[in-house]
Parts: sequence; structure tokens; C-alpha cells
Amino acid sequence: MGELQELARKLLADGAVKVVIGYEEGPRGVRPAFITTPKDADRLVFDERCVHNLTMYLTPTRKHIAALGKPAIIVKGCDTRSLAGLIRQSQVKRENVVVIGARCGGVLKDPSVKAAIAEDTVADRCRGCTIREPRLVDHLVGEPKPAPPGKSLVDQKIDELDAMTPEQRLAFWHEQLSRCIRCHACREVCPNCFCVRCLADKAEPLESSAHLRGNMAWHMVRAMHQAGRCVDCGECERVCPADIPLRLLNRKIARVIEARFGHRPDDDPESTAPIGSFQPEDGQEFIR
Amino acid sequence: MTRKAFITESDVRALAADLIAAGTRVVAPGRVGTPLGERIEYRVANKVDEILLGQDEPARSLKDFFLPPTDVILAWQEKKDQVELTPVSSTFAPQVIIGAKPCDAAALEIVDKVMDWDYHDELWFGRRAATTIITLACEGGDRSCFCTAVGLEPSGTRGSDVLLTPAAGGYSAEILTDKGEKLVAAHAVRFGADKGADEARAFAEKGRKRVDANLGLKPAEVRKWLAGHFDDAFWKSIALACHGCGACASVCPTCHCFDIVDECEGLGCGVRRRNWDTCQTAKFTMHGSGHNPRADQSSRMRQRVMHKFCIYPERFGEILCTGCGRCARVCPGGMDILEVVSKVNEMACGGAK
Repeated sequence: MGELQELARKLLADGAVKVVIGYEEGPRGVRPAFITTPKDADRLVFDERCVHNLTMYLTPTRKHIAALGKPAIIVKGCDTRSLAGLIRQSQVKRENVVVIGARCGGVLKDPSVKAAIAEDTVADRCRGCTIREPRLVDHLVGEPKPAPPGKSLVDQKIDELDAMTPEQRLAFWHEQLSRCIRCHACREVCPNCFCVRCLADKAEPLESSAHLRGNMAWHMVRAMHQAGRCVDCGECERVCPADIPLRLLNRKIARVIEARFGHRPDDDPESTAPIGSFQPEDGQEFIR
Repeated sequence: MTRKAFITESDVRALAADLIAAGTRVVAPGRVGTPLGERIEYRVANKVDEILLGQDEPARSLKDFFLPPTDVILAWQEKKDQVELTPVSSTFAPQVIIGAKPCDAAALEIVDKVMDWDYHDELWFGRRAATTIITLACEGGDRSCFCTAVGLEPSGTRGSDVLLTPAAGGYSAEILTDKGEKLVAAHAVRFGADKGADEARAFAEKGRKRVDANLGLKPAEVRKWLAGHFDDAFWKSIALACHGCGACASVCPTCHCFDIVDECEGLGCGVRRRNWDTCQTAKFTMHGSGHNPRADQSSRMRQRVMHKFCIYPERFGEILCTGCGRCARVCPGGMDILEVVSKVNEMACGGAK
């Protein structure tokens, strides 16, 4: 039994937690796992196929997970930014969860096939990874790994879009968003989408129909609500059944927020974010 | 009344070209480029070389062309103190689907039952009547395929007007319906005398064996078990990873639920639309009072399995699943209907084998 499995077994056997949220082998590759008994701890796996950001299972919207009792959760360095965000936004109490950090050298862009991390196999969001040693953890497992290789292609694509005329850019987004079928899977997997009642689930003002007008409204509203909060975990883009390049939207807004407010969502629950904090010296030129 | 013929691949394309030139809408698998890579979808073919006659499964089913994700069902206009309603036409221009998957063609017949149950769905049947389906036999898909476990075949003819099965130099063509006969007669020059029937049979047998290996099911036993285990602890265990996103339902060829909304298109006028909906979301059963009879994700997942393998079979004598495997391929939580139904089957047939 490996280090991770042994730790999970002990946490469950000692009664420190009631469930360990991690990863297991499924019929089509690695998938989220909910281990509730010590004997099942050896089902846990952690490798470069573990693309999922599991922290959304800690949000109050997941009543069926909360009902299992106190959780331990396996997080990658990048996931700790989501966790910090949830703590910052009063969705998770740090003391109510045992955090197991897993050292990570990047995850695969196609996790359905086992492969080594290399420039052409690594997920784009891993490029330029800033959290090599997760800090917001109670336990840390695995050996240190080299930083994921390469430079983000999403940033390149954003530069291309920025260089377009507004008409060209609009045409690009019309083409992308016309594919949306309004399943809202992007919302359901997002650790930041913990609203008890989403605007999109109300009859007004956001149209629920999968026409371009409704799709544009939905994705703009969602992107704006992610401003200063999105950690670019890429889950929305991964799960989209229509392959809409949602990271382009989220990352573009993150870049604007960083340029204007000097803020990048980090792994510190105490840091302040532009949305959710107030400073009298705020410039607020955008209102004038 | 079925008869057999033969068609070469270039003649299939020539047939498509003739149809497109004549202004008939042709729908076929094709590549859709996105910044995230290429995907294969059923799409309206504007040019013949866009048509893929391969074995790859389109990411979404044929449902989109009969029950679109959003569809206008009437228009309304305020007139003083009255509201004038204008229904939409339920007569549609002819369309021909080329290269349908057998499971997707069969799904249409399965869904026909509910669409002609407590009311006759004019839009569904209008599109059904206008559509001729040329299906391409399947070599057996991947590990998530289980059509044979739900009474279908990778070379099955159900729901198809013409079935093409690969044979040396082209396809053995089985003409199955009057609609199919009409299409073939109108393009007789594209079809030759029957040949390759033995090869087609061998292809079908190979495909069946391949899918059979994925899952064996006793549907009657499964139905009985489900009917008697509404409160089984099993349901709590299977939905933990479920996000309730409903991506499964959106790619499902047989999920057919819809919501109805009114939307303004200007001052005092608008349209009524029906939009895909799914039992996997909390909103689906949310009452106006705030009470939700399906309060958690496990009860929603149970509903999905129950409806497909118990409720629909009881009401219509059909399993509401074609075993196409799309829901498993698309699930962000790694949930797998084959795995779930396989476990139910084990319990129904007296424990693990």
C-alpha cells in the first residue's frame, strides 16, 4: 500500500474523517472516488490522469457529500487555490476538512490514455504552474516533481483575439457560443458556482433557450461573475459537451483583473479579491 | 418487403451530391473544428466531401434533428386587450440522413412511443415524416457500447429506411421501408444488383460478438429488481460523483424531456419555445413552494435509471436506452451507465457471478 492509500486508511480507521474524496480507476480512466471504509482505501490512485478539481464537492451545494460526514480531500497544488477561494468566500471552514496535498508534475490534456508528462501531452493550464509545493494542506504526499513544460497556448490565442477587430472577435465568439446547448455543465463543475439559486435557473432576466442571444448572455454573465475568482482550473472547458473554449473567456478576464487590480487568485485564504473586498482608495474610474 | 442492392462509396457520395444539388437537406457525420480540436457531429452537409462514412460515433445523437435543443412552438402578439397566437408549421422540407448509427436510428422509434402517447407531438412526427434515414452498420463501437444488451444490434435495421453494411468495394444495401424504396428508386442509377450479402452477415456477426462481450443483461429481471428497490441503499452509493449537470441527457438519443418558456422578441410580441430539460438537475422537480421531491442527486440518478430500465419498459414495452455509451463518454464525474446497470443486473440475478 502506498503513502497516499496508507494515509487515507489511517484517517478513516482513526475516525478522523468519514470520507476521503480522491481518485480511483473507473471504466473509462481515472474518476472521482468517495472512500468511506479503511478497506477501500487501496482503491485510491493519484497520477497525471487526475485532472479533476475535486474541491467543488466541498461546497454546500453538494448535500449528498456533506451527509457522509467530515471529509478529507486530495488536492493538487492548483486545486488549493480553489480551496482558498472557498474558504475566503465562507463556503468551507478550513477546520472542517482534512486536506491531503499530492505533489504534481502536471496533468494530461487527454487523461483517457496513460502517458508521461511532456510538452505535447501536458494540459495547457499546467504550463506555467506556480504552486509546486501545496501550502494549504495538512498532509503532503508524493515526491517532488519537475515543473510542467511549455508555455500556455491559451495566452497566445488571447493575444490573437485581442489583435482582432471587435467585429472579428464577435464573429469568433458567435461561432463558439452558437454550439452551446445550455446544459450548464460548466456551472455544475465550477467550485465558484455555489449560488443556491443561479441566475440562469430563474425565468428572468436570463433566457434559458439555447439560441445565440441566450447563450451570449449566459456566458457573459458567467464570465463576469468569475472575475478575480476563477483560478483557471479548466474544469468548465473539460466538461463542456460542445467543446466551447471557455478558458479563453475566463483567462482573458483574469488578465484584465491582474492588470487593473494587481490581483491573481492565490492559495492564501486571507488574501483579498477585487470582488468581495472594499477599499476607500479604489480608483473606480470605470464608474466615472 | 425488404430487398437488397449494392452501392459503392463513390455512389453514396454521388447520391448525397444529387440530393444537395436538388435542395434536399442532407445530414451526415462530419468534422467540426473548434479551438479545442476536432469533433465529429451529425451536421448539415453543404458539400459531399464534408461527409464522413467511417465508424466514429458522432458526439451527440440524431435527436437534435427531431427535437432541437431549442425550438419555437408558437408566436404571440399583443393586440389591444387580446393576445393573438400563431402556431408554427409542423410540415417540414424533406431531409435525408446519411451514415446514421444503427443505435441512433433505433432511438427514434423508441421515442416515437412517448411522442404519440398522451398527445401526438406534431413537430416530432412532422420531422420524422420528412426524414429518410440511411444507416451505416456499426463494427461494434468501444467498451461503453452495449446495444445488444438492450435488444438492439450494431447492424440492426430498426428505425432505418436503408441499411448499408460494408462489403468489398462498397456497401451491401438493405432497403427496408417504402421511404427507403422511394429514395432508392429516385436514385436507381446509384445502386447496383445485390452483392456482398455474405460479407454483410459476417460483419454483423462480428459486431454483435464485440458488443456482446461488454454487457449481458436480463432486462425483465432488471425491471423487476428496479420496481422493488426504490429505496435501496445502492442509489446513495452511485451518485456521489454526479455533478447534476445533465450532460448525459443532452447527448442521450432517447432522453426527450423539455421545458417550455415564453420569450419576448420585441415590445408586445414573442415566441414560445421548448428547450431540452433533464431530470438530473435540481430545478427539474423543484416545486413553487420550494419543496423538491427529488432532493438529492442520488434520487435524480435513480430517476434516470428507473425511467430508462423500468418505467418506460412498463409503459411502452421498450427500454429507453440504446446502449450507445455516450453518457459514459461525456460524464465529467466518470459515471458509467453500463457499470450501474451491470450491478443492478447482478443483484437482480441473485448476487455477483
